[in-house]
Amino acid sequence: MRHSARLAIGAVAAATLALSGCASGDGGSGGGDEDAAASESICDSADGDGPAIGLAYDVGGVGDQSFNDSAYAGLEKAVEELDATCEEAEAQAGEDDAAREERLRTLIDAGYDTLIGVGYIYSTAAYNVAPDYPEVSFGVIDGFNPTESQEDLPNVANINFAANEASFLVGAAAGLTTETDNVGFIGGTNTPLIQGFEAGYVAGVKEVDPTITVQTQYLAQEDPVKGFENPAGGETAATGMYDNGADVVYHAAGKSGLGLFDAVERAGQGNWAIGVDSDQYLTADKSQKPFILTSALKRIDTGVFEFAESVDSGKQLSGYVTYDLADGGVDYSTSNPKLSQDVIDQLDDYKQQVISGKITVPTEP
Amino acid sequence: MSRGARLWLYALAGLVALSVVRTVTGADDLTSAGTMRAAIIAAIPIALAGLGGLWSERAGVVNIGLEGMMILGTLGAGYYTYYQGPWVGLLGAMMFGAIGGVLHALATVVFTVDHIVSGVAVNIIAAGVAGFLAEVFFADLEGGGPTQSPSLERPMSITVPGISDWSADLSAQRWFLVSDLAGLINALTAGLSIFTVLALLALAGTGWLLWHSAFGLRLRSCGESPSSAETLGVNVYRYKFLAVTMSGVFAGFAGCYLAVVASSGYANGQTGGRGYIGLAAMIFGNWRPGGLLTGSLLFGFTEGARLRQGGESVHALLLLIGVALLALAAWQLYRARRAVALLAATVGAGALWWYLATEAVPDSFTEMTPYVATLLVLALFSQRLRMPAADGQPYRRGEAG
Repeated sequence: MRHSARLAIGAVAAATLALSGCASGDGGSGGGDEDAAASESICDSADGDGPAIGLAYDVGGVGDQSFNDSAYAGLEKAVEELDATCEEAEAQAGEDDAAREERLRTLIDAGYDTLIGVGYIYSTAAYNVAPDYPEVSFGVIDGFNPTESQEDLPNVANINFAANEASFLVGAAAGLTTETDNVGFIGGTNTPLIQGFEAGYVAGVKEVDPTITVQTQYLAQEDPVKGFENPAGGETAATGMYDNGADVVYHAAGKSGLGLFDAVERAGQGNWAIGVDSDQYLTADKSQKPFILTSALKRIDTGVFEFAESVDSGKQLSGYVTYDLADGGVDYSTSNPKLSQDVIDQLDDYKQQVISGKITVPTEP
Repeated sequence: MSRGARLWLYALAGLVALSVVRTVTGADDLTSAGTMRAAIIAAIPIALAGLGGLWSERAGVVNIGLEGMMILGTLGAGYYTYYQGPWVGLLGAMMFGAIGGVLHALATVVFTVDHIVSGVAVNIIAAGVAGFLAEVFFADLEGGGPTQSPSLERPMSITVPGISDWSADLSAQRWFLVSDLAGLINALTAGLSIFTVLALLALAGTGWLLWHSAFGLRLRSCGESPSSAETLGVNVYRYKFLAVTMSGVFAGFAGCYLAVVASSGYANGQTGGRGYIGLAAMIFGNWRPGGLLTGSLLFGFTEGARLRQGGESVHALLLLIGVALLALAAWQLYRARRAVALLAATVGAGALWWYLATEAVPDSFTEMTPYVATLLVLALFSQRLRMPAADGQPYRRGEAG
């Protein structure tokens, strides 16, 4: 009797928890239901006979208004133009390579033969899994070769972007815009990939005027959660920079960058923020938009689409594939009307100089 | 001297020490109003989580599930603030946190599950539930996404006219002690979030309730000796259940603060282990509200300082650490404790050498600063910690004697 009473309590508690979730999900969210279609993945309706794409996102998944969303845009294009079918999966915070390998194998077992890992974290997993499935193609955005021999596998492509070149241009934009001769850079994790952003940015600022001070701050050394999912830390770091004289701050810190946008709004008129990966002017809050000077664009959508296309046409990319300014794989955005034509002209000039090789942008600070 | 007076004296000594260090090193951001503000914002969520831990552990239930309850709090805050503003958002966060608390209470108090096992389960369940519900709640909203809410309205903040202006001016003067104090005053009088005030009231209120009321005495007796409490007619189950639920309420508040004051929206994973730090702050503070606030402020201050002008500020702190350790070494030598003295002297000399040999501390070290500083102070000053006697032990009615 006593035992069953306990069971009953447990069941009631569980039901309460479940119901409270549902109830609050339904209540008051009427506004959300109307455009529910917006969040439905294109994979639910894709049924073509093109490549079968398995897309594994980085931590955060679709909706980060940055990195992963850009990959999704490429996936959409592949579905529309290549008649691809697809399936999505997402990385969890704090997981290890074994978990990522398992995710790739699950996608392969489900019949997907064009696998794309969004983010360098998939590198090791892809190189471990690829030899077992020679008929499957692997593409890793920002990937690298983790093996000691550095031998390329024929079915793995490391899709890289010259983020330092895009960062160089927004650095030049910062240098041309600053009035205090003091600008800032916030990085997510202090890793070679993000250091490339810093190196390009600093070079761009110094190209305009070598006397400008550049404050740099990394939110974390290794931990991607503290680095890229820490808007509170991003806001503290950005406020510190504005307090100490900076008037333009650039971030390469994923979701932590949202804190930068809060900070610049509070810092007020005459201060600017620069976005990263996608055009963050387009996705930012209405009140924050005017402060987002420009964004360093990384056309992950191009990378995803072209990789799928290469598989579809039977000429799979492999080894290191790098997109840069010359082929439009990276760029800067001009959607904020407050970015003056004068600055745009000068930036385009810098762009040509980088493309022609007159300026070489460093990859490490 | 009373404990209150001693606490004030410690705080004053700390401020003087910081002021000396700032003047000597020229690391002006170390005690600027901005750093003080960042320190408060970083400290409050930790203090609130610690307060949650305090309620639970004072009633004898170890609560490692604070992190999970905090996650539920961020989600509740995100959902309710979006539709009904920050005040309802706060209530929603507390309610979500309380659900986590009730779950933990059910497992530990009613079913006498091991406290650690249940706490870890709460953390895992909360992360999963939040990830799932965030997608349900926010995926279709403009500016939101499956892993983050749209930008949320922030609760009102208080600015005291007059004081906030002259303290800002004074703080910018860089005068010894005066400017440092002004920086602190400015952080407390300009743009101080109403939720910060509420959090401090919750800390003070808890202190009064648990140590100066009959209710508090009964609750604490459940954590010290539940069978004795039972023989005196206290309904131990009820007190423990209530305490653990309140623990969830405060952890939920911590999550709310993180979501709408420290940042401006819900994002998956934004708690980033602060619940665990809160638990550590509570232990640091000897299971008392004043102590856990001190621990949280220490952690928040070093975190804020390193995120702002990390290299410079942390470099300046090295001087403070070095001198403090050498002083401690001399004191320990005087008391004939050679081993401790030697250890303190070695580490202190190392810190001083590092300070003198370099211009700034590399980023790779600054990230550890909050943890190292907390550990150091814990090791040096908190030798007489005493947890509630029956903390973590299962209790069944009628087993007394």
